[in-house]
Amino acid sequence: MRVAYIDGTACEIRPGETILAFLKRHMGEDCVPTLCDAPNLEPFGACRVCSVEVARPGNGGLKTVASCHTPIEEGMMIYPDSESVQKLRRNIMELVLTDHPLDCLTCEVNGNCELQDVAARVGIRKVRYPEGKNHLDRTKDLSHPYMTSDLSKCIMCYRCVRACDEVQGQFVLSVAGRGFDSAIIKGMNESFFESDCVSCGACAQACPTSAISDIYQSKSVSAQKEVRTVCTYCGVGCNLAVKATGNKIMSIQAPFDAEVNSGHTCLKGRYAFAFYKHPDRLQHPLIKRNGQFERATWEEAYDYIAEKLTQIREESGPDFIAGISSARCTNEENYLMQKFIRAVIGTNNIDGCARVCHSPTAIGMQRTFGTGAATNSIADLKWTSAMLVVGANPTEAHPVTGAKIKQQAMKGKTLIVLDPRKTEIARYADHHLQLRPGTNVAVLNMMMYYILKEGLEDAGFIANRTEGYEDFRNNILNLNIDELEAVSGVPREQVREAAIAYAKAPAAMSFHGLGVTEHYQGTYAVMLIADLAMITGNVGKPGCGVNPLRGQNNVQGMADMGVQPYQGAGYLDVTNPDMVRKFTDFYGRPVSDKIGYTIPEMYDSALTGKLRAMWIIGEDVVQSDPNSQKVIRALEALDFLVVQELFMTETSKYADVILPGASFLEKEGTFTNGERRVQRVNRVVEPIGESKPDGQILVEIMNRMGYPQRPYTAKGMLEEISAIVPFFAGIRWDELGEQGKQWPVTPEGKDTKILHTETFKRGKGRLVFRDFMETPELDHAEEYPFILTTNRVLEHYNSGTMTRRTNNARIVTEDLLLINPEDARKNGIREGEMVRLISPRGQVPSKAHITDEVKPGILSTTFHFPELMVNNVTSDIHDTEANCPEYKVVSVRIEK
Amino acid sequence: MSKNLTALAGRKGKGLTNNLFERIAGLTEESGPADKEALRQLADEFLVGNANIYGTATFYDFTKPDNRNKKVYTCNGSACLLAGTQDAVKAELLRHFQPDEIGEMCCLGRCHENGAFHFNGQNFSACQPAEIADIVAGKASNGIDRYRVGALGTPILTAPFPEPEACKPVIAKMLNDSPESLVETVRKSGLRGRGGAGFPIAFKLDACRKAAGEPRFIVCNADEGDPGAFSDRYLMEERPYAVLLGMLIAGYAAGAERGVIYIRAEYPESIAVIREAINGLTEAGLNGDRILGSDFNFHFKLIKAQGAYICGEETALLQSIEGKRPEVRVRPPYPAQEGLFGKPTVVNNVETLANLYYILVNGGEKFAAVGTQHSTGTKLLSLDSSFNTPGLYEVDMGTPLAKVVETLGGGSRIPVKALHIGGPLGGLVPVEKIPDLTVDFESFAQNSFLLGHASVIGIPESYPMVRYVEHLFAFTAHESCGKCFPCRIGSVRGREMLHKAQAESYRINAELFNDLVDTLAKGSLCALGGGIPLPVRNALTWFKDELAPYFE
Repeated sequence: MRVAYIDGTACEIRPGETILAFLKRHMGEDCVPTLCDAPNLEPFGACRVCSVEVARPGNGGLKTVASCHTPIEEGMMIYPDSESVQKLRRNIMELVLTDHPLDCLTCEVNGNCELQDVAARVGIRKVRYPEGKNHLDRTKDLSHPYMTSDLSKCIMCYRCVRACDEVQGQFVLSVAGRGFDSAIIKGMNESFFESDCVSCGACAQACPTSAISDIYQSKSVSAQKEVRTVCTYCGVGCNLAVKATGNKIMSIQAPFDAEVNSGHTCLKGRYAFAFYKHPDRLQHPLIKRNGQFERATWEEAYDYIAEKLTQIREESGPDFIAGISSARCTNEENYLMQKFIRAVIGTNNIDGCARVCHSPTAIGMQRTFGTGAATNSIADLKWTSAMLVVGANPTEAHPVTGAKIKQQAMKGKTLIVLDPRKTEIARYADHHLQLRPGTNVAVLNMMMYYILKEGLEDAGFIANRTEGYEDFRNNILNLNIDELEAVSGVPREQVREAAIAYAKAPAAMSFHGLGVTEHYQGTYAVMLIADLAMITGNVGKPGCGVNPLRGQNNVQGMADMGVQPYQGAGYLDVTNPDMVRKFTDFYGRPVSDKIGYTIPEMYDSALTGKLRAMWIIGEDVVQSDPNSQKVIRALEALDFLVVQELFMTETSKYADVILPGASFLEKEGTFTNGERRVQRVNRVVEPIGESKPDGQILVEIMNRMGYPQRPYTAKGMLEEISAIVPFFAGIRWDELGEQGKQWPVTPEGKDTKILHTETFKRGKGRLVFRDFMETPELDHAEEYPFILTTNRVLEHYNSGTMTRRTNNARIVTEDLLLINPEDARKNGIREGEMVRLISPRGQVPSKAHITDEVKPGILSTTFHFPELMVNNVTSDIHDTEANCPEYKVVSVRIEK
Repeated sequence: MSKNLTALAGRKGKGLTNNLFERIAGLTEESGPADKEALRQLADEFLVGNANIYGTATFYDFTKPDNRNKKVYTCNGSACLLAGTQDAVKAELLRHFQPDEIGEMCCLGRCHENGAFHFNGQNFSACQPAEIADIVAGKASNGIDRYRVGALGTPILTAPFPEPEACKPVIAKMLNDSPESLVETVRKSGLRGRGGAGFPIAFKLDACRKAAGEPRFIVCNADEGDPGAFSDRYLMEERPYAVLLGMLIAGYAAGAERGVIYIRAEYPESIAVIREAINGLTEAGLNGDRILGSDFNFHFKLIKAQGAYICGEETALLQSIEGKRPEVRVRPPYPAQEGLFGKPTVVNNVETLANLYYILVNGGEKFAAVGTQHSTGTKLLSLDSSFNTPGLYEVDMGTPLAKVVETLGGGSRIPVKALHIGGPLGGLVPVEKIPDLTVDFESFAQNSFLLGHASVIGIPESYPMVRYVEHLFAFTAHESCGKCFPCRIGSVRGREMLHKAQAESYRINAELFNDLVDTLAKGSLCALGGGIPLPVRNALTWFKDELAPYFE
């Protein structure tokens, strides 16, 4: 054992650790006072408060060094608290206090201020210096809807600057001037609001004082309790530490020890929680009578629903009823919803929003690998040497993962981006293949062509782990590159270089988003991404794999729980007689062996009279599904619609009964993030008004309709789920801990970071060739010459139901139509001007924003605001395999 | 230090080719300190964010927005201050310029004649109003100064240096031998860094060559910011090939293909001469790919600094070249492991590198035979105008200081009470200690002084020591990068106390003052804050009685 000495006592040292890390390991977290050091930041060495005395072997004298950045050495004698060190710390603190207001009692961080703690600890009783230059007259910056600053409190520890750089990678904060006159700046010495701040709050959390904070005063100690839970927005699954007093949420911080997000999260996770107590929240059941919603009791609502559903089932059969479950709800609630539809109603007509996002991923990866989930973990970014991002905009849609990818790219890891738009991440890419929307298959095929041409395939992996290679290879090498180059608009040399960079990387990791799946050839593009990984041996080891960026907090879990018409809980095939028997036995009710309707089929069936009732949980299909007018007509055609929601949405307006559900802050259960990590969601406050957790509602209606379901508890539900879902076998509520577990979890409780390490789930990986096919949507191209593609912005989430009811709506106030400067000029469109977007389905007005983020001929917009309702123009074209709508290619024309 | 910014600034096609720091400085040179829009475009191009570009631009004396209107800069270095010439210079300049058009620069290296100012990209020394009027009217031909150059013992650096053509056989022979044997030769020479720290150069060259990462860099620290020093200026202007070939030799030893010479903007003449000399090397085939037909590539790059003393600190200098704020980095990693753009880098001072050609030609042993056992070779000293014969002198290490003062300097022109040797962070040597010292690292260190860069400034009897110590604190406060707490705040508080004690009835508490000095010494991140206590303590020790009235 190699040792160093703490006050003469031998202690084991670890390679590469600093003296501070060494001391903390042996003496506890708080053994040495620090100011500029922070758990998620690189050592910086500014405050010098962490200084210790050190004697090196053979080098005699004592030296004072900053422990935060000095490496421990074998045989070192460390004196962490000597007289001299104590005096030095006291003297430094005295200097700091000469330029800091002494108004602790009225300061928002009183009682939770690191400066205060360190001052108390080193024992300052008096500031002996005469009054001199100081910065106490700096004014507060209250310009921003979330971020605040009061730089009179700043001690210049640079933690905010480093957080903005090392955590978020935004470079909004820096320092201007030098020496004593240096000061923290935002942008070009602007206010928070004027700067490019993305309000992630990492700086506020990093600041040891109240110099940078937020409107929630997150560092104040006023809250009574702190509850750890998981974010309700995207599929990254950030852990949140929620502070509350009574039934009121005070603030949210990101725990430093969270594996998923170690002290980081985005403005949605950290700040956009005010929706939970928004006056618009539905607080009691509503029943529509004579076209008007009237307040009802739960008893009335349940009676009415039970009566209507029973009546329709008896009149028309169970297949005339369908359910849409919600990726926003917990695993337990999704399990219950599909169980309700399958075991109580008796049909497989159950689907969820994955249909309109990652259903092609599930199918494509099942066909090639055998499992429709991310093969690796986000933490693998540490091990990868090249990142391929296809059709994803992670810095906006998956901000914490996006920041991590960007961090790696900035530090020099290869980044390849396939995207029609010049996204934030594309700016940092080594290779940005700015393809025409809808041509992923063409470009991916070109990449594989060049990999095989250059002989860069992994022959060993292909031989041992895959099947179908010969055919695949012949097809790829016979591709017409001229044609693919022309159709995609990406010069072949660019594709070749990117392909070589991917193939030559010792480990290459791919990420994809809805820019892959929401296409006519969505499933095929996913399969090609899988092919690309397989032919280069990038599956089953650290730092590689195929990693879909799941859009919603629990969209992975929703599918896992059986919310799809052809697979039950645990992806078990509903047409397989053994599985039908298994479910029938397990649920104690006969289940159907007939594949149910996907969401688009539900609308079609409703319009043709084959579907009479629907139950929709937490999904605003009118605003978010394509071809809104058709969706509305379908909902109107139903005899009975139940909507379970937080708010009155565009969809719930068409309901016969609205049931008020509870938000993530008001319930318990588990969410499964995009890397298969099942994490605990813990209740922080009681459900508002008479609203109830969605799981409880489902249990109550199941019982009301005669099915004995135990009361909803996360623990009890997980016991039931683990008995039927094979990869949940070892998941127990009490054993998930704070970091959760990545499925499959063995009965003994061991989880899985990387899939397909030895064999693929399906045995051998299947290499499948698919040629490019043009989407039929472009049949309209002559009359509608522009391609409109839809996208997301950081500040809003999907249809904005939640984020529009927070201060995020003060940051981004409307949907904008991105248009290339050349197109704007040709059409005489000025910045901010209203234009009409016209497609064969309809038209919407939109405000133009001129930018070179899109190429000529391409338009892009978001659908976060109901005012735009861009889905009035989106098409009916779907992915040929998974029936996922093609949101990403819409033929339009623009008129002023 | 930001790994992200380092990597972004060093990206393909950027780095030294499209250099961020030069681009920021370039905006200033075109039209005065840049406006926000121009900075914003740079931020976009380099992907480093508006704040970082703005932060960098506001750090330097020349690029900061406050200097937008400046037309002329007076030298406020220690020698000009002590000579008392600058009030007259400024008074005359005020007849030609608005007050806000006159800025200050810290040390133009005219310490031997004083009255220094910078106008129209050139340095001048003039004390007579008529002279100044002529200069600002554009009537003076040029500002070239003259000073004595001499040597005692073996002239290595002041000896005539051959033209590049004549150096080629020597370089060719070096390229035939291995870098390892070159490092061995340098090791035998015992050559130690002349910038102040006295670190053996062979160790750095070896560490850099063995470190992983390409390309590697040799950085010549020609940011001679110490007020009172002009020996690097001498070498660059009079022995440019010794400096540049020293870089090339170091490059071969360290496996580095790029040589950056970073010269302070306060030395426009040095910049011009070195630029010309680099062209000379190019013509001689000593700059570029495949030097003299070998596999060795070496490309020179001259970077003009923008006015920040801290850039003389090696990690701040690297930050500067990367276009970042030149804030001192923590070590490790050392530059030899992760230096410029995160690649292995050797940073050495001008004078250190200028010795390498001699060592290459004559062998390490011959160099080691000059000087003392631990301080080999010679040392340049720059003597200021307090001497009868100010100038630039080379002596063998180990030469008695008294001999330098008397024989070379011709004694003091005016009564002096102390010599400030080795820059503002060097020791204050009272005249009675002069006989105890010899010019080498050990002698100075043993006597609680510092050889440093061996600039020598005489402090007149008549100049109050309290005011001089205040000047040292003021200098530190002005030049502090602001990163570490002790230096950022402590330098200001020290200055305030000394000022208050002179201006008011306030008396300094000795315990507090000692605590402050102790905090700076023990707590500072780099040698600026860590170095100022040395002369201050010297003053407290040797001028106790003079300072006593200012203390409680």
